[in-house]
Amino acid sequence: MSSRPDSDADGSTSADARGSERATSEKFTGSGLNRVEDRRILTGEAEYIHDKAPESALHMALYRSVHAHAEIESIDTSAAEDHPGCHLVLTAEDIKADYNPMPAGLTGFEEWSLADGKVRYVGEPVAVVVADDRYVAEDAVDLVDVSYDTLDPVVDPRGAREDETLVHEDFGTNVGDHEELTFGDPDGAFADADHVVEGSYSWGRISGVPLETAGVVADYDDDSDSFDIDCNIQLHTLVDDTVYDTLGYDPDDVNLDVPPDVGGSFGTKIAIHRYCCLAAMASKELNRPVAFVEDRIENLQGGDMHSTEREYDVKLAVDDDGTIRGLDFWFVDDFGAWPRYPVNQVLKPLSVLTNAYDVQDARYEYDLVLTNKTCQTAYRGFGVPAHLYALEMIVDEAAEEIGMDPDALRRRNLIESDQMPYELPSKNIYDSGDFPAALAHVQEKIEDERDGGLLDPEVVEAKRAEGKYRGARPTVHIEPGVSGSDWTDRQRSNRERLADRDRDDVAELPEHLRAEIRPDGTVRAFLATDSSGQGHQTLVTQLLADELGVLSSDIDVRYLDSVEAPTEYGTAASRMAVMVSGAAKGLGEALTENLETLAAEVWDCPDRDVVYRDGAVERAGGERLSLAALAERDRERPDDDRLTRASYDYQHPATDLEEFDDALARKLPVYPTAAFAANAPIVEVDAKTGEVEILKFYSLRDCGTQLNPTIVEGQAHGGLAQGIGAALLEEFGYADDGQPQAITMFDYRLPSIENIPEMELDHTETPSPFTPTGAKGTGEGGMIDGPASLACSINAALEPLDVQADQIPFTPNRVRERIREREDE
Amino acid sequence: MSVNDISGPLDYPTEEIALSVNGEEVTAEVEPRHKLSDFLRDARGLRGVRVGCEHGVCGACTVLMDGRAVKSCLTYAVQADGADIETVEGLADDGALHPIQESFHEEHALQCGFCTSGFVMATKELLDSEPDPDRDDIEDGLADNICRCTGYQNIYDAVLRAADRMDGEADDEGAADDEEATGDGATETEADR
Ligand code: FES
Ligand code: FES
Repeated sequence: MSSRPDSDADGSTSADARGSERATSEKFTGSGLNRVEDRRILTGEAEYIHDKAPESALHMALYRSVHAHAEIESIDTSAAEDHPGCHLVLTAEDIKADYNPMPAGLTGFEEWSLADGKVRYVGEPVAVVVADDRYVAEDAVDLVDVSYDTLDPVVDPRGAREDETLVHEDFGTNVGDHEELTFGDPDGAFADADHVVEGSYSWGRISGVPLETAGVVADYDDDSDSFDIDCNIQLHTLVDDTVYDTLGYDPDDVNLDVPPDVGGSFGTKIAIHRYCCLAAMASKELNRPVAFVEDRIENLQGGDMHSTEREYDVKLAVDDDGTIRGLDFWFVDDFGAWPRYPVNQVLKPLSVLTNAYDVQDARYEYDLVLTNKTCQTAYRGFGVPAHLYALEMIVDEAAEEIGMDPDALRRRNLIESDQMPYELPSKNIYDSGDFPAALAHVQEKIEDERDGGLLDPEVVEAKRAEGKYRGARPTVHIEPGVSGSDWTDRQRSNRERLADRDRDDVAELPEHLRAEIRPDGTVRAFLATDSSGQGHQTLVTQLLADELGVLSSDIDVRYLDSVEAPTEYGTAASRMAVMVSGAAKGLGEALTENLETLAAEVWDCPDRDVVYRDGAVERAGGERLSLAALAERDRERPDDDRLTRASYDYQHPATDLEEFDDALARKLPVYPTAAFAANAPIVEVDAKTGEVEILKFYSLRDCGTQLNPTIVEGQAHGGLAQGIGAALLEEFGYADDGQPQAITMFDYRLPSIENIPEMELDHTETPSPFTPTGAKGTGEGGMIDGPASLACSINAALEPLDVQADQIPFTPNRVRERIREREDE
Repeated sequence: MSVNDISGPLDYPTEEIALSVNGEEVTAEVEPRHKLSDFLRDARGLRGVRVGCEHGVCGACTVLMDGRAVKSCLTYAVQADGADIETVEGLADDGALHPIQESFHEEHALQCGFCTSGFVMATKELLDSEPDPDRDDIEDGLADNICRCTGYQNIYDAVLRAADRMDGEADDEGAADDEEATGDGATETEADR
């Protein structure tokens, strides 16, 4: 971490000398530059959304449904309205005349911001109460009186498909979306193969559960008839339509501003628009700012923030020699009551359809069902973790069926490095990587452990005598990185017509970055996306300091709000490292070109006689114009024609690569970087208690060129911790009557420092041939590869008992249950 | 819908409390139902006290009360009457970060930072009572705090680094009179800026 080229130790750099002090040609990018975000956080000065309410703000609380499925017979708000501290009560009836339903992930499911006539999940907002403070608002919420006529709830995802009870009568079925995709000739492969193996696996409802909940401060301005909305929504420049469409205003009149510090999101805060809309409506009604911060119980039971809950039926065709011939995935994904924007979580697995295996014939089919549970949102990995889990489970099953060593079976089918770049049957392309070498690396670690270590046969034997089963099974996993095209609205498109599209019809979402030189010669850059802990300010600081040859302390990075920023994608889909580095490169070039033009103008010489270098423009004879001097000269130019400002929109790594044309045109998920990991967690399962302990976690990780190894390592640790939680602890269970079972953090068990094993992470760097810096996306890795690899190691440990981790999370209860079932057989 | 225009102060009962907050003597009128976390954040403006669950699990709201780490969301403000409260805002000394803060920065022990105040205060309690913690001490001392971003490894390393540094400072102070805290901590901060 000390390899900074930063020599600004005395902090006394004068504006004119700036740049020239860059002592060496060493770069910031690639070094573990300490984060610029940290100081304000460590001192408590950082302002998160819950610090944003002004003195004048009123506070909102929500009355939420207590039933999973019921007709609303009547709502009596009079007692709440009579409460002396209460300023406003709103129900669906009050908002329907003036506003619109909220946009949905699937056409036909547009929804009012408050339950209209019927409630469809416990925790669904029914009424808004605004009062002097939150304590009083909750007092008044208690006075709202709703009478219900309860209905049967739909809780089981497979059962929901029978349509015995409908969540949405108008739609006529609980299957909100369905698609079957066939690649190559799966029927042929399955008919020809020596064996067909089948398995069913389930993935429990989990989510990101960031430490900070959702929050908003909405302020309506009467004079301009517009809204300023501070909120911690994720992708504020992409999903702002969910707010302005609902309010029925132009995008320019609804300004979403996300604080520089957001307390985590992991995808979950993409769908918090309801809160923004309700606070905005209340603010307009009262002509006062209205603030709301979701409390944790609201967040867990009805915060529209659960994620993937799937039941899989998987088939695999395999020959006697272990060659995998074909794959067949069917699953049902329980989206809860309403399909929100992240419906395409069911499609992203196509970008890693066969994981690290060379298989060309596959079928992929899903039913997206609606039930009486809170709505799904995105979560780190976006549907991929469950897919890799199901795939690795069926591979284990196949090894058992044909009596082959699972390691050998995996090795036999891995994509070889000389097959790179490798096109999947589903048309996405893996850019680079040596998967067999990665597997061998962790296999070696495990071999070492077998020789006097944690897996020494004698130790394993002795432990087994105590009822403790140890095992480890190395696996390789791909993390698809850098989405950025219109495949994301495939489910709102006419899918029959997609074959007619060509490359020109594809809409892409670039990454915008802009910068200006300040009067003191420092550089202020503006990101058009929001962040929630990923260190983007640090990353842009490093990249721009290198592009411009100045000190990192000369760069100040800020954020644009949704009105200032162009519509773009933002922080999701492991894309920022690649997109921001592409944007910074383009921006650096644009800005230096401008500065050369400006200097040539000042010196009245041709552009070709000047050159930008390390914070100044120079010309023959040693004359220099520093950034500060250039900024001063530029002020003489008209404001709309300044040359010390520039912006750049970096398209996307796949934009210029013909190889992706087909996938882009057909709206198949395109993720042009393939980061990968080979994992080998060593687990110990206590057959009596059912507890799974991770003794050690080996992982070899490769995300191409690392822009900031400290941040890369941090992402890996954090992702793996979430992977461990998903595999062993976390689950939003529901009782048969639709009551949520995990509504506090006592019930939804997040990993603590006690659950995290010793991690031994190694890194290799296989640069991406597709990206400007060689970087690959890596924001989701550990959550993508953690659960599947843990399940495989558990299978290895429990092999003597013939038990498989067929349900995630594999909680102590489930482990004991499975073991007893086997014993009874 | 109805817009209510009665907005005068409500007649809730209050009690007077007197306490010390980050070394400052404070008296205040609070409602008995007000949580210490809300009192510190709203009445004292100490926004570094984060609120992540309000039911005692996440530890984001951890502050020191008479030297012991407490969850300020589970403590009523009236319970702090007569107490000595320390929050993260009280740690830095005239702009110089506390060794624990330094160490969290250097070990990249924070990402989104929402848990950080709580972890830093829990670490302070831990190191005040156990200046030379082993792995178990750290696990016990921080088991009541949740971090969703870092995966804990770097937090663990930061605590060890802080222990080292505080140990070094204690030695320095003992040996030479006031060369105090110029150690690597102060210099590295300068360079990072
Ligand atoms: S907010 Fe106090 S423990 Fe979570
Ligand atoms: S840094 Fe985000 S919760 Fe700890």
